Amino acid sequence: MVRNQRKWVIIFSIIPLAIYTIIIIIPLLSSFYYSFTDWNGFNQEYNWVGFENFAKIFGDKFFINAITNTAIWMAAAVVLPVGCGLSLALLLHEGIWGANLYKSLFYLPICLSLAVIGQVWIWIYQPDWGLINVILRALHLNNLTLAWLANPKTALLAVIIAWAWQQVGLAMVIFLAGLTSIPSELIEAAEIDGASYMTSLRHIVIPLLSPATVVVIALSIINSLKSFDVVYMMTQGGPFHTTDTLAMFMYNESFKKYYIGYGSSIAVVLFLIAMVIIAFYFRQVRELEHLYD
Amino acid sequence: MTNDIGLENERTVKSWRRSGGSVYRKILLYVILTAIAIVYIMPVLGVILTSFKLNSEIVMEGLWTLPKALHLDNYKEVWFVANIQTYMKNSFLVTIPATSISIMLGVLMGYVFSKLPFKGSEILFMFVLAGMFFPPQIVLIPLFKFYNTVKLYDTLWPMIITHSAFGLPICTLIMRNFFSSIPKAIREAAIIDGASELQVLLNIMLPVSLPALAVLATLQFTWIWNDFLFPIIFTKSDSMRTIMVGLISMKGQYSIAYGAQGAMAVIASMPTLIIFIFFQRYFIKGMTMGSVKG
Repeated sequence: MVRNQRKWVIIFSIIPLAIYTIIIIIPLLSSFYYSFTDWNGFNQEYNWVGFENFAKIFGDKFFINAITNTAIWMAAAVVLPVGCGLSLALLLHEGIWGANLYKSLFYLPICLSLAVIGQVWIWIYQPDWGLINVILRALHLNNLTLAWLANPKTALLAVIIAWAWQQVGLAMVIFLAGLTSIPSELIEAAEIDGASYMTSLRHIVIPLLSPATVVVIALSIINSLKSFDVVYMMTQGGPFHTTDTLAMFMYNESFKKYYIGYGSSIAVVLFLIAMVIIAFYFRQVRELEHLYD
Repeated sequence: MTNDIGLENERTVKSWRRSGGSVYRKILLYVILTAIAIVYIMPVLGVILTSFKLNSEIVMEGLWTLPKALHLDNYKEVWFVANIQTYMKNSFLVTIPATSISIMLGVLMGYVFSKLPFKGSEILFMFVLAGMFFPPQIVLIPLFKFYNTVKLYDTLWPMIITHSAFGLPICTLIMRNFFSSIPKAIREAAIIDGASELQVLLNIMLPVSLPALAVLATLQFTWIWNDFLFPIIFTKSDSMRTIMVGLISMKGQYSIAYGAQGAMAVIASMPTLIIFIFFQRYFIKGMTMGSVKG
């Protein structure tokens, strides 16, 4: 029986594991290998250069710029989806008639491609007939109108908001799932003791939502590390590299300039940041589980 | 053990809701929600409205007004003149196989991890799961080189293969969790009766797994359909473009034909919108499970 079971384990796992290894694990290790070479993509030959690429990227002002932008993106990725997602979830949890219709509306962006979202938001930010400037002119605030995506001061935030528009819906879904699991007795007991809505929100609901909050934050940060699609669609990293993220910078160095070794080392940095965040996330989740057990 | 995918378990705990409250509070709530909803959905409305306008109307009125009549000219234009039929076909040719393959692989691995545990299977499970968090950039260069070497560059194969592999972690996770909720005794009884593991999987496990399969199908279809990183890297010719890459290239070609751009965006989003409308419960379930359990 046991031997028979082992036979089936091998039969069932061999194809999935082979594909996983060939398409993900070996390329992952190869990227680490290339990051120590000076390969330029065209030549067949390349040299082992040790940590030279890594020394170079941390002296490259465009890399520092890209990693700074990614950090700003991450910070916004924590604030916007948590703030807006939680507020929407609380409003929708009030048990009003038609709540499902509103929910669907806020979920909707989740099913759209970032290519479509990028295009839509280009129209919103467009200087002449974009929605924002049209509204500002209608309010006679002409001096506030800007070329939002072409202005180095506003471009990054503009792109982040377009991206966050989709993330907020996702955060809301997770917070709503968290809210439905809070037992009503807790709040009722607090209300009987005379606690106001804001008090029970602050001292009961929000602390009980911390698992959901951890998930939302981790998810947003991981997604912000991958922020390539929406940047590619909206600005390609411009103007003057103000919207360059690590993922965008890696794409340009590797597939536009063919600095394969250099691009690989950027990918390795990106990968390591993602792994550190994930390790942190799993530690948080485990601590939360201890807390509730 | 509770069933992870049971769609009815959402209301089992009597959850906290604000009861009572004055009518004014309710009205205020509706006003706030409706205002937010209108602002929130404005981007989508703008695209849909514009797609039905004539170019002359757009020049006169801009993008953010109601069209006077629903003109289908833009749809005709992108459907018959632009290459959109090829792009849509390519997208289906990538998305349907990649979705099916990733789910099949996930079913096999999920069954192994839940019903045929062995020494070290927990570690192997973590190893497979880790793939869920890898940024795709870490594999792009080696895969680009690999597909070039095996002469698959600029075909649809790289997208099918790569998405199948990247879908494996989430499919394995969800299938493992679902299979774990099916009692062990059922499998053991069938095995004693002489059934093979494959028969157990196909005849006993799969027929009851439809909710889990639906969750994965909606999730994977949406992700793969919407992706454009892999097609940008692994293809170059116009005839191999998927719809999302087509949309980007159209942006240049139709840079001032906003109506055509809008129509193209609507067509490109149609398949995932249809899934969203008809399978929303599964879709949302998958979204939260993929993230919460991750």
